[in-house]
Amino acid sequence: MSLNARATGRPGVVWAVPALLFFGIFALLPMVIVVALSFTDWSGIGSPTFNGLDNWAHLADDSQLLPSFRLTLLLSVASWVVQTAVALPLGVWAAAAGRSRATLSAIFFVPLLMSSAAIAILWGLLLDPNFGLASVLGPLVGVPDGNFIGNPDLAIWVCIAVISWQFVPFHVLLYQGATRRIPDSLYEAARLDGATKVQRFRNITVPQLRNTIITSSVLMLVGSLTYFEIILILTGGGPGTATTVLPLHMYLEGFSSFDMGYASVIATLLLVLGTGLSVFVTRVTGYNRMDSQLEGL
Amino acid sequence: MSLATAPRPTVKAAQVTTTRRRPLKERSSTVGWLAATIWLVIVALPLYFLVTTSFRQSSEYLLDGPMSRPKNLSWDSYHLVLTSGFVGYLVNTVIVTVATVVLVLAFALPAAYAIVRSQSRFVKRAFSMVLLGLAIPAQATIIPLYLLITKAHLYDSLTAIVLPTAAFAIPLSVLVLTSAMRDVPNELYEAMAVDGGSPVRAFVTLAVPLSRGGITTVAIYTAMGAWNGFLFPLVLTQSDSVRVLTLGLWRYQTQYGVNVPAVCAAVLLSLLPLLVLYLVGRRQLLSGLTAGFGK
Amino acid sequence: MRKRLSPRWAAVAGVTALSLTLAACGSSGPSDQASGASTGGSGSGGKGQIWVITDASLNPLQKKSAETFNKATKSGVSLTVSDFANDPYKQKLQTAIGSDNQPDIFYNWGGGNLKQYVDAGQVADLTAALDAAPDFKDKLIPSVLGVGTIDGKVYGLPMQGVQPVMLFGNSDTLAAAGVDGTPATWDDLLSDVKKLKAAKKTPFALAGSQGWTELMWLEYLLDREGGAEVFQKIVGGDKTAWNDPAVIEALTKIQELVDAGAFGTNYSSVGYDDQGTLALLAGGKAGFELMGSWEVSALAGSFPDFAKSDKLVYGTFPTVPDGKGDPKAIVGNPSNFYSVTEKSKVKDGATEYLTSTLASDDYVQGLLDIGQVPAIKGLEDKVKVGDYADFNAFTYGLVADAPSFTQSWDQALDAATSQTLLTNLQKVFLKQMTPQDFAAAMAAA
Repeated sequence: MSLNARATGRPGVVWAVPALLFFGIFALLPMVIVVALSFTDWSGIGSPTFNGLDNWAHLADDSQLLPSFRLTLLLSVASWVVQTAVALPLGVWAAAAGRSRATLSAIFFVPLLMSSAAIAILWGLLLDPNFGLASVLGPLVGVPDGNFIGNPDLAIWVCIAVISWQFVPFHVLLYQGATRRIPDSLYEAARLDGATKVQRFRNITVPQLRNTIITSSVLMLVGSLTYFEIILILTGGGPGTATTVLPLHMYLEGFSSFDMGYASVIATLLLVLGTGLSVFVTRVTGYNRMDSQLEGL
Repeated sequence: MSLATAPRPTVKAAQVTTTRRRPLKERSSTVGWLAATIWLVIVALPLYFLVTTSFRQSSEYLLDGPMSRPKNLSWDSYHLVLTSGFVGYLVNTVIVTVATVVLVLAFALPAAYAIVRSQSRFVKRAFSMVLLGLAIPAQATIIPLYLLITKAHLYDSLTAIVLPTAAFAIPLSVLVLTSAMRDVPNELYEAMAVDGGSPVRAFVTLAVPLSRGGITTVAIYTAMGAWNGFLFPLVLTQSDSVRVLTLGLWRYQTQYGVNVPAVCAAVLLSLLPLLVLYLVGRRQLLSGLTAGFGK
Repeated sequence: MRKRLSPRWAAVAGVTALSLTLAACGSSGPSDQASGASTGGSGSGGKGQIWVITDASLNPLQKKSAETFNKATKSGVSLTVSDFANDPYKQKLQTAIGSDNQPDIFYNWGGGNLKQYVDAGQVADLTAALDAAPDFKDKLIPSVLGVGTIDGKVYGLPMQGVQPVMLFGNSDTLAAAGVDGTPATWDDLLSDVKKLKAAKKTPFALAGSQGWTELMWLEYLLDREGGAEVFQKIVGGDKTAWNDPAVIEALTKIQELVDAGAFGTNYSSVGYDDQGTLALLAGGKAGFELMGSWEVSALAGSFPDFAKSDKLVYGTFPTVPDGKGDPKAIVGNPSNFYSVTEKSKVKDGATEYLTSTLASDDYVQGLLDIGQVPAIKGLEDKVKVGDYADFNAFTYGLVADAPSFTQSWDQALDAATSQTLLTNLQKVFLKQMTPQDFAAAMAAA
């Protein structure tokens, strides 16, 4: 019997159209407009006026561009290192059963429930050099005046720490879930072969978590490229420009200096970077393959 | 004869493996417990500060410092926050969250179904494009979004927040739902097709129910994103009547800045609804949050 | 074969309809308060919006005056006041003005801040309305009204007190360190810094996380060193004026202060909007703060006992050795202004509100009651009453005697230059930039 499309009951293109349209209007269309805006001069009042490549030429004059880019890279890489180093062991630890583990895991989860605004405000209070925890703990760690977020050298690390505080719980969950799915049989076989705890961790746990490590790392890297809500509320890009990452630079150019044209240039750069990274990663990890990844087990 | 005496240890091992999950206590190590304890302090200390400070009196906080033992506990801060428009902000946030989740599921479920089951090349290419959307930085689009929303006469409304929030949640939702739907065996679809079932019927009776894990993940993830959204409300709303919790918090920080207990009370109150949900439905929340991811 | 098209298309239609309905819901309904949505042109009533910045003591007065107007006016216009925090306010205004969601009356700082909106044709010319209300016009102090006048036409009317910048101090903290009152000369200031440091207090509270608080130091030091003309050149568009030796000297003095520990060490994490420095001053942890006269109403909101007590002292900015500037010159905000948007649908009603309220006895008294000194003539006696009688008299006299009143630079200059100015100045205070590099950067900006 020949199977034609109708008889196999497969959905047609039309099922995907609403989602594509909706996404197209509110996410893709603005992308196109932003690129168009980068060729205009607009302060937010009135209409944009075409000014050719002026804004793009300004890229060469912008002394803040490279520092912001470097800060963004630092933020991405450092966040990735810190968060993975904390979340992976914690996730594996939390995977085992036990009341105390469960209770602690419950507490670990709470930061995930908080909005970026709430977290930034909470840490802002804690880091107040005169009235917050920073004034009490600062002297203990070699910062006698409690000046963490006001110190140009420390500020970005404070941001990295707070962002990690926010997102580590999520990645702990990922690793915890993935660790729980590792079949006991693998560990059994290894134990029978006489492998130590460390060897079991290195040769079984970590490789089995490969997909999760990739997932988690993708989310971290792509996310931190464009993330700035906490930085906006906590330091506003300061002190000076010590925490002005690229997305924040764009925001300030657009909404403080009111140079929407140039801000659109930076936005376009961010789009290219973000999209490029996303394409690269999905190609490398094979997300767009059609097979279920339960195969082989 | 020699064949019959060949040792078969693998068979024995397979028989030894149980399907019941064992406690695996031997996997624990001091390193793990050490890391956990340190992280506990790092997480719990700010939360302890948040809770205790919210019950203190403003003047006492400034004089005694952040970590001193609270003397006179009072509900003043909570009273102040709750009478300063907090309930309104809460209601707005709930509306935005529910509407966003509904929209996302309404769009992403059929799309995921189409991607998994359709043989059209267009759909497959569309899927790749949607994946691209995973990394579109929302921040880069706020200027044009403001333009679009204003032209559509939607500025300063809750709808203005819902639409872009839902749109940006679609790529990840489609990804998770596709992953969940792929695990529904093809044979079931074929069986239904042979019975003469339409794609709609297959969708309603097969794909959706069997992807419950993914749907829960998407619902939870989207809800949390909408609840805690900050950038879109910041740029697309202005009036107090459509202010959401995150913006309300920022406003409290400016308005009550030096009244730290009040700011703490506001932060805690904004956290409470999600916290209650978490305590009640923890298992669902946790499993839902990662069910679609770990594959 | 049964046709299965209809349910599928129905589903698609349903989903599309759902989103369109949601979209339609947004353009009507109770959440829409923009004046553009209401019908009716000026004169036949309608709702209007007044946008202001958040100010604990001023906002109630603003709201009350709007209510009073709403009840008394025959135009049928009803005005409501919406407040926003300082920094987000400018962004909100920028993107909203000229659109459907613009306010009808908006708070602004006059000068260059207002000029950008005037140049874009978004502000109503109030000259005629002002001339038609001579009683009102005569009451306004001319030099202040001048800041709301652009190219000879009046676009903004003063709605707040005059706000010169001056030194504030906590006399208890000062006495304990052996300091008597505010310093009169630069040498006095430096010795006060030493004494306060010895007493383990922060000599000058500084909200360094917000650049505009540091700007006040530069404004006064440049005025004292080189006179008001230097900045007038910069505002006039002469960027080479940034290289004037007085600019370099002023910045050098600032870095001397930083090195001497005049601001403590953690000033760059302290804020003003969240009352960080107010807490330091009122709480006895800092001796002085250089701030605009709104400091008193801010203190009145958060630390009323301190504000009303004798502990709060104030004085002028000291002179510098060999300075060319007039010791009586002041800097600050001559006032803040209300302007009417050009496309407002209740323009006449809004203008009526302004001319009838801003010099009315109730409003003026209201300003006096919260420690502000209105930009209204002839108040010498009136200002000497209330909780802040002495302070008001001092401020009024300060403005009356001043040969020049330079507007805050970040309001006088355009937005992009201001942003660069503030960021670079923060770096100077952090010793990350030399005075020469600052001048070069600003001349090239």
